[in-house]
Amino acid sequence: MVRQSISSNSPPKGNSSSGETQGGVPRNATVALIGNPNTGKSSLFNALCGANARVGNYAGVTVEHKTGRLQIGDRLSSPNRAQWQVEVVDLPGTYSLAARSADEAVSVEVLAGEMPGVPKPDAVIVILDSTNLERNLYLLSQVLELRIPVIAALNMWDRIDAEGVRIDPSKLSKSLGLPVICTSASNRTGIDELKIQLLEMLDRKDPSLGLPDSTSLASGCFPEAFGKSVDGLVDWFASEGIALNRFQVERLLIDDPQGHSFRVIAKDQSSTVQSKISEVRDALKSQGLAIPLFETRCRYGWIKSRISGVLERDSRPREHSTSDKIDRWLTHRWIGLLFFLVLMFLLFQSITLVADWPMKLIEEAQGFLGAWIESWVPPGPLRSLLVEGVLAGVGGVVVFLPQIAILFLFIGILEDCGYMSRAAFMMDKFMSVLGMSGKSFLPLMSSFACAIPGIMATRTIENRKDRMVTILIAPLMSCSARWPVYVLMVSAFVPPLTALNGWLSLRGAVLFGMVSLGSVVAIPVAWFLKRFLFPGEPSAFVMELSSYKWPSWRVVFARVWERVQAFVLRAGTLIFVTSVLVWAAAYFPANHAQLDAMVSQMESLSTDPQGHKAEIETLVEQINREKSRLIEQSFLGQAGNAIAPLVRPLGWDGKIGIAVLASFPAREVIVATLGTIYALGSGVDESNDGLADQLRAATWPDGTLVFSLATALSIMVFFALCAQCASTLMTIRRETNSWVWPIFSFLYMTTLAYVGAWVTYQVVSVWSL
Amino acid sequence: MAHNEPVPVEFLAPNSDAVVVEMCGDAQNVHRLEELGIRCGCKLRMLSPGEPCLLAIEGKKMCLRLGKSADILVQPLGS
Repeated sequence: MVRQSISSNSPPKGNSSSGETQGGVPRNATVALIGNPNTGKSSLFNALCGANARVGNYAGVTVEHKTGRLQIGDRLSSPNRAQWQVEVVDLPGTYSLAARSADEAVSVEVLAGEMPGVPKPDAVIVILDSTNLERNLYLLSQVLELRIPVIAALNMWDRIDAEGVRIDPSKLSKSLGLPVICTSASNRTGIDELKIQLLEMLDRKDPSLGLPDSTSLASGCFPEAFGKSVDGLVDWFASEGIALNRFQVERLLIDDPQGHSFRVIAKDQSSTVQSKISEVRDALKSQGLAIPLFETRCRYGWIKSRISGVLERDSRPREHSTSDKIDRWLTHRWIGLLFFLVLMFLLFQSITLVADWPMKLIEEAQGFLGAWIESWVPPGPLRSLLVEGVLAGVGGVVVFLPQIAILFLFIGILEDCGYMSRAAFMMDKFMSVLGMSGKSFLPLMSSFACAIPGIMATRTIENRKDRMVTILIAPLMSCSARWPVYVLMVSAFVPPLTALNGWLSLRGAVLFGMVSLGSVVAIPVAWFLKRFLFPGEPSAFVMELSSYKWPSWRVVFARVWERVQAFVLRAGTLIFVTSVLVWAAAYFPANHAQLDAMVSQMESLSTDPQGHKAEIETLVEQINREKSRLIEQSFLGQAGNAIAPLVRPLGWDGKIGIAVLASFPAREVIVATLGTIYALGSGVDESNDGLADQLRAATWPDGTLVFSLATALSIMVFFALCAQCASTLMTIRRETNSWVWPIFSFLYMTTLAYVGAWVTYQVVSVWSL
Repeated sequence: MAHNEPVPVEFLAPNSDAVVVEMCGDAQNVHRLEELGIRCGCKLRMLSPGEPCLLAIEGKKMCLRLGKSADILVQPLGS
């Protein structure tokens, strides 16, 4: 019996050594999944745990380790058999345990049992791509040295015939000295066998019995001189009071002294460590063992001996696959680039077209709810809070949910079908001109959905300078939180002109322009940063492209659902609180008794509108005057007057200035804030209109309209360039381990935003004349 | 260009096959390439030349722009 449950990022309960034994309580164990990128590792994780972890087709998509829970064992059919509660840890895809990037360092830390909150794994499942066994066994050879029981999963087993590969799994198992299970995670075959094998391995009283005969791997794989040097270094570290095992010492000896291995294992120890390692390296070099290249030579030698008689490949030339045929066009220097640009343009066009009707539905529901509240709650602070504070604020943001969902749907499809790595290949030529590489493209593309996962995805970038530049420009990409502002301004102030029978719209084009603006501005910013703050040669770009595949709808929809949930949660917490605070600032300290009395009087007159037409008209005029007076006297009105001179050059009035100020913690708050301010300040005959109508009707004291195309563009440009997201700034702080870079990001982006908005307003105002 | 002369991988013509005969440059960079499966003796096909280029290495597609970090010399194989 196999039962499954999932808890992403849930803390593990402990390992088998500390777990309970039989007697009804399952024993605990931790199992790590590791493999090269694009070996179907995340799909196997999902198949094992029933989770919908994100699956990508490009290197390093699993930036954070994810854990799932798997309960295995069958007490009913076999009373003596233990049940196991297994925490399955999905490690980032890596080619080697010689950690060069931050996410590769995560794998090493987890396997070494040094990752806080994650017990050292009791077993490791190494996922091997059956169609590329030699290279995948390289990582396995390193994992074996960790002395953790290993199961090898020969994944993508369904593809070996098409690739002309023949493998004898039983011979391979014997040759490697460990269990080998053939799996195909995409169609869920071999998963039960893998679980049974895992159960058998965990059931052994001494988990080390599951350890293959690999303890002598290092001495069998590497020359004796190297083994002696490692032993000597282990003793030396011990004498220095640093407890390191053989594997850690091996990595210190082989890996780049500037790399992650040295920082993670030696914790940036003194220069004494550096000089000792240099001394041993020199000694090894004099014996013909040049560090680090002898490692690959030795390991591939070991691999060759292990697969002899196990693996055969067809000598006939491989036929062109469908992926090859598609790539002939999509990776073409010009056609591929054109395809990418057209794809992006159509994506943004379709979002505006498709999202139109669900938006209207949400708006109608909002109006219905507002009327329902007004029918139950008498005029006063509570009604004002519910209708003009919460509903106008939170509802104003939720209305943009369809666009966000469609955006994530498209991004999810492009990622899962394998196109994104092609886009990175296409963009590398351009990015190398800026001194960066195509590897930066993937995090930047993720940032179009949200800068936070984008910045975290920079962990896959090996070059530190490239990574820093990517982190600093990632917030310029137009994340989904900017969409509500763009859509609101575009739908209210850009004329609904269309061409090609409605398939191309001016609004869609302006939206595309706004979404692209940040990435265009990022070009000179990246050039400046690379030229003056992080100078250096462009780093090399090496990336594997996986085969195209039909996107897994389960994975794509899980991704959309995850992001939509996060958006709604934000609307229900941060935006809710901000809406209430803004409402309070716009409601108090003025006395609303007179206004409430007038509204009550009007509502009673409205039961017979024809009979009291003249009275209602007079009353509406009085209510509007009173509302204007009250909002002027409120805290918000006073603050708006104070800030007005600063934002006047941008074409904004004090209300917009206040709304923008309130949106610095989270940019989408501006829509909620504008909704609250204008709902409180709007005339009673406008109260059920959409926010767009209220903005169009807003006037300066002299009666002229506040909003024009120039004002709307100025606001959009400001939002396109400004760093209005506290969570992003905190992520920059965490990833750079410094306060300097979030402060730098905030200052340079805010300055760019102000200047950009000013230039836009001035130019468009002149042009509009 | 004679077929048996080693050439830098970037010089391969589209759809031509070759075998890697030498890798040089910074040792750590060469080490990384070898970990990725690009090593002496492996066969490759140039799918799309240029910087970066697109190669099929042992059946797997790999895009590559080495710049000054390393050099891969290959021996073109007959058509």
